Amino acid sequence: MSEIDSMIKVKNITKSYIKGSMITHVLCGITLFIEKGEYVAIMGTSGTGKSTLMNIIGCLDKPTSGQLELGGVDAYQLDDDAISALRNKSIGFVFQQFFFLERTTALDNVLLPLLYADTYPADAIPRAKQVLVNVGLEDRTKYLANELSGGQQQRVAIARALINDPDVILADEPTGNLDSESTAEVLKIFHRLHKEGRTIVVVTHDREVAGHAQRILELKDGQIKELDFSSKPKDSSDH
Amino acid sequence: MAIGVAAVVVMVSMGRGAQKRVLDMIHEMGTNLIVVNAGKVTLVGGRERQSSIVTTLRPADADAILDKCPSVVEAAPEINRKMNIRWGSENMMTDIVGITPAAFEIRNIEIETGRHFDAVENNTAQRVAIVGAVIVEKLFNHEDPIGHQIRIGLAPFDVVGVMKEKGVDANGVDRDDRILIPINTAMRRLVRTIYIQKIHIQVANSGQLRQAEMEIRDLLRERHRLRDKPDDFTIQNQITLIQTERESARSLTLLVGSVAAISLLVGGIGILAVMLTACRERRREIGLRRAIGARRRDIRTQFLLESLIIAGLGGFFGVVVGMLVTVFASRLGGWAAIESWDATSVGLILSVLVGLIFGIYPALKASTLEPIEALRSE
Repeated sequence: MSEIDSMIKVKNITKSYIKGSMITHVLCGITLFIEKGEYVAIMGTSGTGKSTLMNIIGCLDKPTSGQLELGGVDAYQLDDDAISALRNKSIGFVFQQFFFLERTTALDNVLLPLLYADTYPADAIPRAKQVLVNVGLEDRTKYLANELSGGQQQRVAIARALINDPDVILADEPTGNLDSESTAEVLKIFHRLHKEGRTIVVVTHDREVAGHAQRILELKDGQIKELDFSSKPKDSSDH
Repeated sequence: MAIGVAAVVVMVSMGRGAQKRVLDMIHEMGTNLIVVNAGKVTLVGGRERQSSIVTTLRPADADAILDKCPSVVEAAPEINRKMNIRWGSENMMTDIVGITPAAFEIRNIEIETGRHFDAVENNTAQRVAIVGAVIVEKLFNHEDPIGHQIRIGLAPFDVVGVMKEKGVDANGVDRDDRILIPINTAMRRLVRTIYIQKIHIQVANSGQLRQAEMEIRDLLRERHRLRDKPDDFTIQNQITLIQTERESARSLTLLVGSVAAISLLVGGIGILAVMLTACRERRREIGLRRAIGARRRDIRTQFLLESLIIAGLGGFFGVVVGMLVTVFASRLGGWAAIESWDATSVGLILSVLVGLIFGIYPALKASTLEPIEALRSE
């Protein structure tokens, strides 16, 4: 884990919330490096700030102090337009609550990030159909997002995250709202994406889900700790 | 919103109509004209109403005005009555207007077919008549009336001419629904009266209108022996007539204008409310769009476009309603209003402007929402 070529560099990040006269320190100086092609799980009980960390890595939230480098760019030095472009091109989000435009088809939801790209590609629709095929939803393209089952919705969300071919996929409790069968499907897709060489960061409180990752980090009391699962040969190809 | 734009359309159309009325009025009255009415003329709902019949104005007054007022070049007395007319088995009510031949010129009365009547026919009280287009249409069923004999009341009259069509005047009176006859014939043979209702007076030039008005007032007060009693006549000149006309048009425009302004404001506030609600209810959508790469400016554009669409739709309906109102109002009410493309474009531009102005704040609010807060909200 050399600092030089890490794809995501989180350096000494803190995050505090001020509520009235109370200051809550959620993150107390997190330093973390994630390499290209790594499959990382961040664990922690609820309220430990794992989602906050994830949002900071995804440029959705600003840290109180510290630095974030994504692919060599100091993300929080960028202006809003550039951060938006970064979110659009380099990051694919998968949320626990999926987040769709309702009354909009699965296909159109997958196309949405392309709408905010610099140029709307001519092959947008075939591309969107292809990523839907990749998540096994080729027969659901014309369905409205809210007509799909939870597992299907999460797979549409993954397709949407993939459409701009991002450097990293950030998944925040991606299986939190899913039954075990759908969870297995989603984990299978992550596993395949990892094999294809994508960088994946999953935030979860579920040891089972985290167990699929290459590397597991635990967030506790505002500090991050490497869990030593990786010492035993825990290769994700077992699954 | 729609009401506001409709009002704008009506207002602009009416403004146009009022302008046309003023021009019409000048044209119809002839130039440098003063009208003396028996009794008081009041404006009721923007239209002239002559109050109760006053029996003081006589043809001799007209002669005296022409004689004694140096700035007056012509004076034409007029009498009018609504009477029943008959031709064959057809009959109808119409205005019978008794005039002197001088009136043809100073009041711009033109003849379509046939001829005028002359001074001799007036002096000898001949029963000749010049009919308007409405009479030709209704009484004669579009037949050529010239040479036919009609009965006005009981007296037989020969039709010698047809007036050129003039349409509805500023007071909503159809100027084609009348019959002109010599004033002497009217007074001696038809109405049997020695009183007249009006004198149309032409002044040498417009600079002398005030001067002439004073001369006429003094003369008539003296002739009617009024001393300290109020005038038993009303003098109107072109300038005051046009002024009253302008004023009534202005007050109406003001009224419709304020309706327009208020409803545009209400419409704008409506848009503001709708868009602010949308801004709150769609926080998650905003958050999602931001998370997948929408810039602040993209969100702003989206919200602004949405308000513009709402406002534009409102404006479109308003234009449609406004045009309908204009058409119906001018047909039914006799109000001269001209539907115009100006009105339509003014209405549409205003509605889009309102959408823009009242859409800016919600759009800014939506675009400055922090993505993470937007996503977190329920």
